Amino acid sequence: MRSRWGLSESQPHLPPLHHLQGFEAFLCPFLLSWSFAWLGALCLVLRTPTDTVRAAPICDNGQASCQVLSLADLFDRVIQHSSRMHGMSNDLHSQFEQYFLPSRNHISNRVNRNCHTSGILTPNGKENAQRLAGEELTEVILKLLWAWRDPLWHFHQSMAHHDDFNSFSSNKALVMGDLVHELRTGVEKVAEKMQNLGIISNLVNGLRSPEQLLPSPVRPQWSLMNDYDLLFCLRRDSNKVQSYLKILKCRIVPENDC
Amino acid sequence: MGRAVGTALLFLTLLNTATSETDYSPPGRPKLTSCLSRDKETFTCWWAPSDRDDALQTTYALYYLKESSDVVYTCPDYRTAGANSCYFNKNNTSIWVNYNITVAATNAHGSNFSEPVVVDVAYIVQPHTPENLTVVVLGDKDGTFFRVSWESPRKADTRSGWITLIYELRAKLDGADWEEHFAGQQKMFNIFSLRSGGTYRIQVRCKPIHGFWSEWSPTVNVTAPYALPLGSSMWILIAFFSALIFLLLTWILNVKSHSVKHCLFPPVPGPKIRGFDKQLLKNGRSEELFNALGVPGLPPMTHPNYEDLLVYLEVSGRDESELLLADANDPTIAATTEGGKSPNSPSDSDSGHGSCDSHTLLMEKCGEGEEVKEEQEEEQQGDGVAVGRSYGGKQRWERRGSWERNQKGDDDQEMTEGRVKTWPCVFAPLEEYAGSKALDHGSTLGTARLLCSSVHSIPLLLPTPATSPSGLHALEQLHWQPYSRSESTIQSPEHKHRRQQGGGKTTTTTTTTATTATKLTDVAWPAQPRSPFRATEYVEVQRVNQENMMVLRPLSSAQGQREGAPQGEVDYSRVKGLNSGDGLLLQRAVDAETQEEVEEGQEEEEYPCDIQEKNSLLGDERYTAPPAVPGQMTGAGKLSMGLPTAVSLQGDTILAANGYVDTAVAMMPTH
Repeated sequence: MRSRWGLSESQPHLPPLHHLQGFEAFLCPFLLSWSFAWLGALCLVLRTPTDTVRAAPICDNGQASCQVLSLADLFDRVIQHSSRMHGMSNDLHSQFEQYFLPSRNHISNRVNRNCHTSGILTPNGKENAQRLAGEELTEVILKLLWAWRDPLWHFHQSMAHHDDFNSFSSNKALVMGDLVHELRTGVEKVAEKMQNLGIISNLVNGLRSPEQLLPSPVRPQWSLMNDYDLLFCLRRDSNKVQSYLKILKCRIVPENDC
Repeated sequence: MGRAVGTALLFLTLLNTATSETDYSPPGRPKLTSCLSRDKETFTCWWAPSDRDDALQTTYALYYLKESSDVVYTCPDYRTAGANSCYFNKNNTSIWVNYNITVAATNAHGSNFSEPVVVDVAYIVQPHTPENLTVVVLGDKDGTFFRVSWESPRKADTRSGWITLIYELRAKLDGADWEEHFAGQQKMFNIFSLRSGGTYRIQVRCKPIHGFWSEWSPTVNVTAPYALPLGSSMWILIAFFSALIFLLLTWILNVKSHSVKHCLFPPVPGPKIRGFDKQLLKNGRSEELFNALGVPGLPPMTHPNYEDLLVYLEVSGRDESELLLADANDPTIAATTEGGKSPNSPSDSDSGHGSCDSHTLLMEKCGEGEEVKEEQEEEQQGDGVAVGRSYGGKQRWERRGSWERNQKGDDDQEMTEGRVKTWPCVFAPLEEYAGSKALDHGSTLGTARLLCSSVHSIPLLLPTPATSPSGLHALEQLHWQPYSRSESTIQSPEHKHRRQQGGGKTTTTTTTTATTATKLTDVAWPAQPRSPFRATEYVEVQRVNQENMMVLRPLSSAQGQREGAPQGEVDYSRVKGLNSGDGLLLQRAVDAETQEEVEEGQEEEEYPCDIQEKNSLLGDERYTAPPAVPGQMTGAGKLSMGLPTAVSLQGDTILAANGYVDTAVAMMPTH
C-alpha cells in the first residue's frame, strides 16, 4: 500500500479511498454542526418577538393563552380583509368584462340592475353613513356580508363548470367566498368587541341570524342574476363594506390615517 | 337704388342660406365627454356639443335617471362647473348608484340626445392634486436627500376614511427623464442619490384606490447642495493608492529583506576576539582556533611573510621558572604575557599544561631573512631570550614588523600585538630565559629568535588521525627536546652561543610514535597532561615561503635527545603537502642534507635557529655560528635548518585567519 496510496506499511490496511473517506468524515460532522447551528440561530431569530405586530390569533373569551388584540388592530385587520375582497371582486369584474364584453368602456351603459342586496338599506353617501350609529353601520356591514355567502358559493360552482371562464377566475371566485367568510367573521368579532367595550349598544338583530336580515323569497333573488351582474353587485358591495368599515374605524378609533 | 336693392337681396340671400341650415335642422348630437367626481360626494359631467355649429341656437339639457327609478331628473347646476357642464352637489349625489345621464341639445328645430352614460360615482373619482408640496434638503455631508411632503387635496375627505388616496411623485433633473416614485398612502417621501448641485423638479399626484389619477401638482424646484468630493469614490481612490503603496513597500521589503532584517534585528554581536577564526571553528580545528586567539593582530594573508611564521619552540626540561624568567626578560613576551608582567607564574591559569597558554611555551616566529639579519644584529646587541609564548592556546608571534623594529632598535613591543602569527604548539622552553636575562626590549625579537633558535625547530605535533588533534593537545603532545643546557635559555640571536645551546633541541618526532621525551629536560614542562595520542611527530616549520610553502623540517624523534643530540641522520619529515584535512603531510626524509634546500634563501631564516643553522650550513655569516656543539648545531641545523620540504599550504583556512599553520592535523608521514 505504500507506493500506491502513500500509506506506510505500518498503517493498518485501509480501503483504497481511505483518504477521501477521511475527508468526508471531517466534512460531514462539520456540515451537520453548521446546519444545526444555523437552524438554531434561525429559530432563535424567529422566536424573538418583535416590536411590530404580534402574530397572534384572535382569541375567544376565556382563552387565557391568547394574545388579545386591540380594537384598532382588529379594525386594521378587518379593513385589510375588505380591501382584499374589493380588489379581488374588481379584478373579477374587469376580467369578466374584458372576456365577455370587450366593447364596453369603463363608463358602462348598463341598464339598471337589481342586486339582490338592494333590499338592504345602505347609506349612499358619506353624510348618510356618518349619520348612522355605530350599531347600525355594523349591522349593515354584517347584512351585506351575510348576503353574499350563498351567492358566492353558487357562483363558484357555476364558474367551475364553465370552461370559457379561465380557471384563474374560478379560483378567484373560490377565494372570494373564503374572503367574504373571513371578513364576516372578523366584523363579527369587531362588533362583539365593540359591544364588550360599550362603544356600541347591542346589535338589534343579533349577529348570527342571516335569514332574518334578508327577506327570504322562495327563490333567491341572486339566482336570477347572471354572472356578470353578480360580479358587478359583488364589486359594489365590497366597496360599500370597505367604506363603511373605514368610516366606522375612523369614528371609533381615530388615528393618523383618518 | 337698384344697386342697393341688389346688394340687399344678395345679402339677404346669403343670410337666408346661412340661417336656413341651422333653422331647419335639429342640433347635432352632443356627447358626454366625462363625468368626474372630485371627492366622491359630488360629481360633474361635461358634454361637448356636436360638430355642427350649434352654439348660439342650441340649448343643452342634461337629464339623468337613477338606478331602479324611472324618475327623470334634470341637471341641478349648469353653471358651477362651467359651460357645458352639470354639477351634482351632495344632495343630488348618491354613491353606489348608477346614474344614467343624457344630454339633450335643443334648438329651434328640434333636439338631439346624446348617448346615455351610466356612471357610478364611486368609480369615477379623480381627486384634485395634492397640495402644499414642500421639499426639504436633509442629511449631512456624507449624504444629502430630499424630504418631499404634501397634503391631501382639500376636497378629498381622507380624515373620515371616506376616501383612501395613494400618492405618487416624480422628480426630474434638468435634461433628464422623470423618475417616478410610488409613495402609497403616506404623505412624505425621501429622495436619495442626489447629484450634488443638481436642480430637481418635483411633482406629486394622487388617486383613490379605485379611481383616476389626479393631475400633477405644480412643480417645485429644488437644488441639491454641493457635496465634498470626499465621497465614496474618493475613499476608493485613496484605498486604491494605499494598497498600491503597500504592495510597493512589501516588494521593496522583500527585496531588501536581508538588510532590513539586519537593521531591525541587528545581529547579536558576538565576542570579537581578534584572531578568532570562525571558519576554523566550523572546521573543527579548535586548536588552531585557540591558537589564533592569542594573536591580536594577524598579518594579512596576501603576501604573508611566512618567515614570520617560523616558530621555534623549545621545551627545556628545566622548570618553568627559568622560562618564566626568560620570559620576563623578554619584554615582548612580557608584553604578551597575560597580565603583563607575570611571566614567572609557573602555573598557568590555563587549563592543561603544556598548552599554549603555558608560559613555558615558547612561541615565536622568526622573521624573514632580513629580520634574521636584523636579528643577527640584534643578537649582537645583547642577549635576549626569545621566548615565544603561547597563552591560552594563543600563540603570540612576534611580528615581523616588530622584528624589524627591534632590529632597528625600537622598543616597540607592539610586535606582540602586531601581526603575530600563531603557531600551534609552539613551545619554547623557558629555561632559556632563565639564563638569559639580558633581553632587552630591542632584542625581544632577538630573544624570540633566540628562543627560536634554541628551539631550533618547532615541534609540530603530528597527531595521528586517530588522535584528536587539538591545539592544546597537540601542544601537550609536544615533546620538547630539551635544549642543551645552554639552550635552556632562549637566547636572542645576538647570543648565538646561547642559541647554539638551545638550538635545535626540540625533538621532533617525525614518526607517529609515542610522545618523545623532551630533550630539554631542563624545561619543566608544565604538567603536560597526558595526551591521548601517542603517535606524534615533530616537524619543524622553518618558515613559510611566499608560495605558502611551509618549510618544514622534521625533527627526529630523538628520545632524550640531548643537546647536541640532534643527529643529522634524524629523519626529516618532508612535508609533502597538505592533505584534505589541511594536514601537513610530512615525508620523512632520510637525508638531512637533502633539506638543505633552503627556500627563499635567507628569508627563511627567521628563526635564529635557521639562521644559525644556515649559517652552519651555508656558511652565512648572519650569525656567528655558535661553536658549541657543532654537531648539534649541525644536527640542529640540519634538523632545523635542514631544508625543509616546502609544504604548500593551502593556507586559506589555515593561515588566513590566524596566521598559523594548522599542523595539528593528521599527517601521514611517508615514512
